[in-house]
Amino acid sequence: MKRRDFLASGLAAGSLGGFVAPSGVRGDEASGAAAPLPATVPEGVVDTNTSLGAWPFRRLPLEEAGALEAKLGSLGVVEAWASSFEGLLHRDLRGVNERLAEACATRGGADAGASRIGPAFVPVGVINPLDPAWEGDFARCLQAHGMRAVRLYPAWHGYGLDAPAFAAFLDAASASGALVQVSVLLEDVRTQHPVARVGEVDLSPLPDLLEARSQARVQLLNARLRGELLDRLAAVPSLLFDTARTESTGGVRDLAAAVGAERVLFGSHAPFLIPEAALVRVGEAAFEAGVERAVLGGNARGLPPRSTPAA
Amino acid sequence: MNEPADMDASRPPDLSRPPARAVPGLPPWERLRDYEIWDSYFTPSHSHPGADGFSRVLADLDATRHAVEIGCLQKLCYFPHVGLGTTRDEALETLLRTEPERVLRPFEHWPERLLGMVQVNPHRLRDSLEALDRWLRDGPMVGAYFSGGGPGALVCTHPDVSRLYERVLELGGVVMQHTWQKTGGKGGPNESTPAELASVAPRFAGSVLVCAHAGGEWEAGIRAVAAHENLWIETSGFDATAGFIEMAVRELGAGRILFGSHLPSRSLGTELCKVTAAEITEEEKHAILGANFRSLLGTVG
Repeated sequence: MKRRDFLASGLAAGSLGGFVAPSGVRGDEASGAAAPLPATVPEGVVDTNTSLGAWPFRRLPLEEAGALEAKLGSLGVVEAWASSFEGLLHRDLRGVNERLAEACATRGGADAGASRIGPAFVPVGVINPLDPAWEGDFARCLQAHGMRAVRLYPAWHGYGLDAPAFAAFLDAASASGALVQVSVLLEDVRTQHPVARVGEVDLSPLPDLLEARSQARVQLLNARLRGELLDRLAAVPSLLFDTARTESTGGVRDLAAAVGAERVLFGSHAPFLIPEAALVRVGEAAFEAGVERAVLGGNARGLPPRSTPAA
Repeated sequence: MNEPADMDASRPPDLSRPPARAVPGLPPWERLRDYEIWDSYFTPSHSHPGADGFSRVLADLDATRHAVEIGCLQKLCYFPHVGLGTTRDEALETLLRTEPERVLRPFEHWPERLLGMVQVNPHRLRDSLEALDRWLRDGPMVGAYFSGGGPGALVCTHPDVSRLYERVLELGGVVMQHTWQKTGGKGGPNESTPAELASVAPRFAGSVLVCAHAGGEWEAGIRAVAAHENLWIETSGFDATAGFIEMAVRELGAGRILFGSHLPSRSLGTELCKVTAAEITEEEKHAILGANFRSLLGTVG
């Protein structure tokens, strides 16, 4: 069969008769108006991995908090766990977390008529266990800001999970009941800015650390796991995962099969990554409806963080 | 309705009806259908088709069907090995040369869905030129794929690569050149960057060369090819980093961008949403998702 035959039927069917688009019309779903919640998740989606603030190396389309709020709201996200990109490079993490808490407090939620405007932004403070003042930062996150989760960026802050400081922090987090989000990688190493090459966090020490700390609750963000490491991490029953960089058409499904769907929490890494990508990836997994609903929100709802008023 | 748990694992994709459940994050299925999406970079079992020449490709087709259906991908172009030494499996290479009908089995598995661009091997120039006659001039393929790694890869600035580009273009085929611009340097000497492709582009003025993956590090890649109207970019192969398509449209115009899915090694969510979620017009999405590729093929046919 010749090339023309293969093309002929497709090109004939590919005429523009079936599609009419007004010129210049933005096809963006984020109109800013309240959008219906997805039929598959009637109580709304919980995105456990978002960030506020400026990404240091590129102006992101959803970098402005209002734009991110509108986009997430249009996708049916009712709760967004948000940390701060400022926490990557700023050394005054107290200031970072104060601004984060304030920014989250002024955004999202429902209006008096209970029509949804945008997600509730739940602040997830940044902690650096190598900082001499980390304990004060942690205490303020929990007590002053009512945070029930914090986020760590080990590769950006210059330590490995085998560092004694990380173990000490895990002890404190365990005692407090706070969820610890560990950001494994923010950007593919192949595309990073050449003056800021930040590698992937070595997770191999984590299973032993968590085995010795049964009360610790840790969620890995932006991980892309396979092989023996995935097997070891899957064997830690308290460890949670997200969906932000779980690639391949079967990636989310394979992760759920490896660790248990109840331990997979939807996370998009918006606004750095396009939030729709992670959502569709869950749909690609072809889960049974109840499982999809759990991954998109149910698994997260029973966990912190939920903001509580400051003491 | 198409049920996710489809018991007929080997059937071709059914795009005649929407999926049983709407997929949050995707445009309505009817809009996807109306985009008439043609995928220019489909990678079932990309590095090795299976010892019999096709079984792993078929398995990947079956594994990808659900994604193709929910994304409403109407045609998908992949890159068959045809016995030119593009794998390291000598037995397979011999089989593909001596029983070339095996190359076409995937097309029989998904009738009217697949297009193909042969994987050529510039290290074997004469064999590759003969293969272009066999598969492109006299056969069903629509172009040639130039790899960035493995035994078939040769940097795009090499004269033998240009000789193959010339022949592909003479025959009216599409040139799909793998490119990556990696922080820290190339993965190997035979990998090509967008800047290197840009350096040879003037020799092919008037003909299109496709810069696959937009170089991966797309800010540098887009800027490297922007000045060369005959260089188009393909969209797959890297994370769904926000801002990519917007910058590409701004710098190149929507008419120089081809959608690619990189399924199944990458996800529909990542690759399709790069375009569907971009802050561009519906006309621009329509162009990128299928019209540009059809136009390129149409000028080729």
